[in-house]
Amino acid sequence: MADHNNVRSTHPTDVAERVDELIRGPQYAMPQAEKDAVLVSILRVLCRDVAGRCEPYGRFLERFGGDVDAWQSMSDVPPLPVPMFKRFLLSAVPPEKVVRQLLSSSTTGRQPSRIVIDKTTAFRQARALTSILKEHIGPRRRPYLVLDAPESVGDGENLTARGAAIRGVGNFADKTTFAMRSLPDGNLEPNWEGIESFFAEHQSGPVLLFGFTFIVWSRFVTEAERRGLRFGVSEAVLLHSGGWKKLTADAVSKEEFGRRTAAVLGCDERCILDFYGMVEQVGTVFVDCEAGNKHAPAFADVVIRRPLTLEQVDIGQAGIIEVVSTLPTSYPGQALITEDQGMLVGVDDCPCGRLGNYFRFTSRIEQTEIRGCGDTFAQSRELR
Amino acid sequence: MSILQITPEGSRPSGDTLAPLIESLNRRRSHMAEIPVDRLLALLDEFSGRLLRDERTRSLEGIMFLAAWLRRNNLQRLLELNLNGNPAYLDGFVSAGRDYLAAKPQGLVAMWMAGNVPTLPMYSLVPALLAKNVCLVKLAYPETGGMDRLLAVLADCRVEGLSGSELLEAIAVVWFDYHRTELNEQMSLAADAKIVWGGRSAIEAITALPRREHCTEIVFGPKYSIGVIGRERLEQDADPDGVVAAFVQDIAIFDQRACSAPQTIFVERNERYSLNEIGEMFARELAKLPAKPALDAYTTMQILSARAEWALDESRDVIASDDGANWTVCMDRDVVLKEAVQSRTIFLTEVESWWEIIPLLGPKVQTVGIALGRLETSQKFAEAATAACVARCVRPGIMNNYESPWDGKLLVGQLVRWVTLKP
Repeated sequence: MADHNNVRSTHPTDVAERVDELIRGPQYAMPQAEKDAVLVSILRVLCRDVAGRCEPYGRFLERFGGDVDAWQSMSDVPPLPVPMFKRFLLSAVPPEKVVRQLLSSSTTGRQPSRIVIDKTTAFRQARALTSILKEHIGPRRRPYLVLDAPESVGDGENLTARGAAIRGVGNFADKTTFAMRSLPDGNLEPNWEGIESFFAEHQSGPVLLFGFTFIVWSRFVTEAERRGLRFGVSEAVLLHSGGWKKLTADAVSKEEFGRRTAAVLGCDERCILDFYGMVEQVGTVFVDCEAGNKHAPAFADVVIRRPLTLEQVDIGQAGIIEVVSTLPTSYPGQALITEDQGMLVGVDDCPCGRLGNYFRFTSRIEQTEIRGCGDTFAQSRELR
Repeated sequence: MSILQITPEGSRPSGDTLAPLIESLNRRRSHMAEIPVDRLLALLDEFSGRLLRDERTRSLEGIMFLAAWLRRNNLQRLLELNLNGNPAYLDGFVSAGRDYLAAKPQGLVAMWMAGNVPTLPMYSLVPALLAKNVCLVKLAYPETGGMDRLLAVLADCRVEGLSGSELLEAIAVVWFDYHRTELNEQMSLAADAKIVWGGRSAIEAITALPRREHCTEIVFGPKYSIGVIGRERLEQDADPDGVVAAFVQDIAIFDQRACSAPQTIFVERNERYSLNEIGEMFARELAKLPAKPALDAYTTMQILSARAEWALDESRDVIASDDGANWTVCMDRDVVLKEAVQSRTIFLTEVESWWEIIPLLGPKVQTVGIALGRLETSQKFAEAATAACVARCVRPGIMNNYESPWDGKLLVGQLVRWVTLKP
C-alpha cells in the first residue's frame, strides 16, 4: 500500500498534486510507517525546490541536509529553528508573488516572525485547516462567536497569528460575532450584552467559539464566573490555541481550564478543544482528540527530538517539538524545530482511533539551567 | 523543600532556619582563629594528595587542577602574594618597624556558589579557611555535585595537631531554593564577608540583600572571556594545531560555562591560513573530544539557532558535528563579542589587527587567551587590554586555571582584617 502513495517523481508539480490529495483526503487514516514514506518522498522534492528559490535556505540545506536523496525518515530532514523567521526574511518567491505576510504576535516587543505567503500556500493553508477541523467538529457551518476584538483580525496583507486563526476557523461560520472590543490602551473588554444576546439567540443549536487561550481564560471564563454567568449552550464547541505560559504561572492546569470553561458554557468538557500551531506553519494544526492527545494531520507530522543527540525520542519520552508540513511553497517552513517541549505519547494506537504519531505539549523551553559566572549577555554594546 | 545540609555522608534535611548552623559556626570562630596557618597548609597538602588517590574524588571534573592548586607550595605562594609577602601575619602580630601588624579573620564568610563548576566551592572555601574564617556555603543545586565526596575525603585527612573533621566544624554547606528570600537574608545578615559567584540575575539578587555595615562583599561574575590568535604566531609557528588544541581544551572544560572559558576567538588575517582553514583546525580538535554526556533543551536550541543563523547568512559560515549538538564552529568577520552559547560552541572572528578588539573590551571581559607570537607583542596587547579592565591575559590551555589574583582580586587579602599594634 505504501508504494503507490510514494512520490516517485522529482518534479514539484507532481509533488504539489500529491500534497493537494493529502489535504483533500482523510486526515488521520494513514498508518505512521506509510505516512513516513509518503511525506519523506514529498519533502525531498519540496525542500530542494524551496532551497533553489531561497538562497539562505539553500546554504542551510547544503550545510546540514546531507544527501537529500538519501533521506529515509522525517528525522533526516534538517529542521530550521523557528527563531530564524525573526532574524531573516526567508522568502522563496519574488515580491510580486507575495499575497500576504504573516506576523507573530511579538507581545514582548521584540522583532516578530515574518512569513511570506504566495497564492498556492495561502490556498493550501485555508483548505488544510478546514480539512483538519472538519474531522473534529464536523462539516456544518454554525454561528461563530470570536472571543476577541474585530481589530485582531488585521488587514489582508499583514496578518497576525491571531488574525489567521480567527479567519481560518471562520470557514465554519454562517454568522460571525465578536465578543470583545479593543480599548485605547490595547486591552480587550468583553461586550457582555452582545455575548448574552448571542447565546440567547442560539441557545438550542450548535455554536462555534474560538479564542486565544489566555484571552479566553482571563477575559471570558474568569470574568463570567465573577459575574455568576452560565450560558447553557450544550452544543457549543470551543477551539482555543496559544501559549499556556501565563496560565501555568497562575497554576491553571489544562484540566481546570477545560472543566471551568465547559461549566461557563454549559457544554461537555470534550468540546473544549486545544490546538497546537504557530504562525510559521499556519494551516497545520495539531488538535486535541477526545483522549487529550494531539494528532498530526495527513500532510504534516511531528518529530519529538532528544536534546543533544537530536534523535527521535522513544514512545513515552519527552523532547523538543519539531513540526513538519508539506503546505508551504513560498518559504522554508517544511521542517521547523520549535521552542516547545512535548512528549511522544504513542503511534497508531490512540484510543480515539486516529492513526499516526500523537503527542502532548508539555512546556515552553526556558532557561532553567543556572549558567554560572560565564553568563550570557547582549554582546559588545553592553560591555563598553 | 526546606534546607538541605551537605555533609561527608551526603545531604540531609536541616529544618527551615539557618539559625542553628550559624550559631554553631560562630561558636567555632575562636577555635579556628587559633590554628596555626602552617597546620592548615599541611592539612590541605594532605587533602591534595588524597583527592587523586581516593576513588570517591579522583574522577571529578577539574580534580587534577584542584589537587595541584591545593599543594602546599602553591598555597604558600598564594598567601605570600595576598598577605604582603608574609603568611605569618595570620598567626599574630608581626613587627613592621616600630609597629606591629596582624591579619585577623573577618569572621563568618557566607558564600553563594554558581552551579557551573563542580569544584568551584573549594576555590572560595580554602582561601576563607586559610584566613581562619568560618564558612557558610550555599550551593546552586540540591544535587551535591561531588561536594559531599570532597568533604568526605577532607574528613579523612589528618596531620599533626589538626584533622579534617576538626576543620569541617568550621564549614556548613547547604542548599535551599533560591526563591527563599528569608533564608538568603538570614545568611546575608549573619555574614562578616559575602562571596557571590554567578550570573547577572544571581549577583543582582544577592547583592540586594540586607547586610551588616561592616560586611565585605566580594563578587565574581558575570564575566565573558575571549581568545586572540595573532598573525605572527600563525605565520611563524610550525605547529598552529598546538595553539588550536590548547584553546579547545579551554573550550571543553566545564562545558564552556566558566567565566574564564573562551566564547569568541579573534584571528588576525594572515598570509598562511584562511579563517576557514583555522575553523577546520578547530573542528578537527573538537571532534577528538569525547561526546558530551547530556545537554538541556535550552542550550540545544541555542546551538541549533546559532548554527542556522551562521548558515543562512551569506557573509558567515559554520562547521558543526554530525552527531547532534555536540560541537559548533561559527565563523565571520563581524568584530563584536558574540552572545555566549557555551557547550562547545566557538565563534571565530577574523580581524585585520588585534587593535580592533581593544574597543570591545571592558570590565565584563575577564580572561583573554593570547597566542600572539613575540613576548613584546603579548606585552603590548596586555597593556592595552588590562587598561580596558581585562583581568587576565594568559596563554591558551590555562584559561580556566583558577589563580590569584582572580577577577582583579586577591581573595585571602580581602577575607582578613588588617590590625595594628603600636606599643
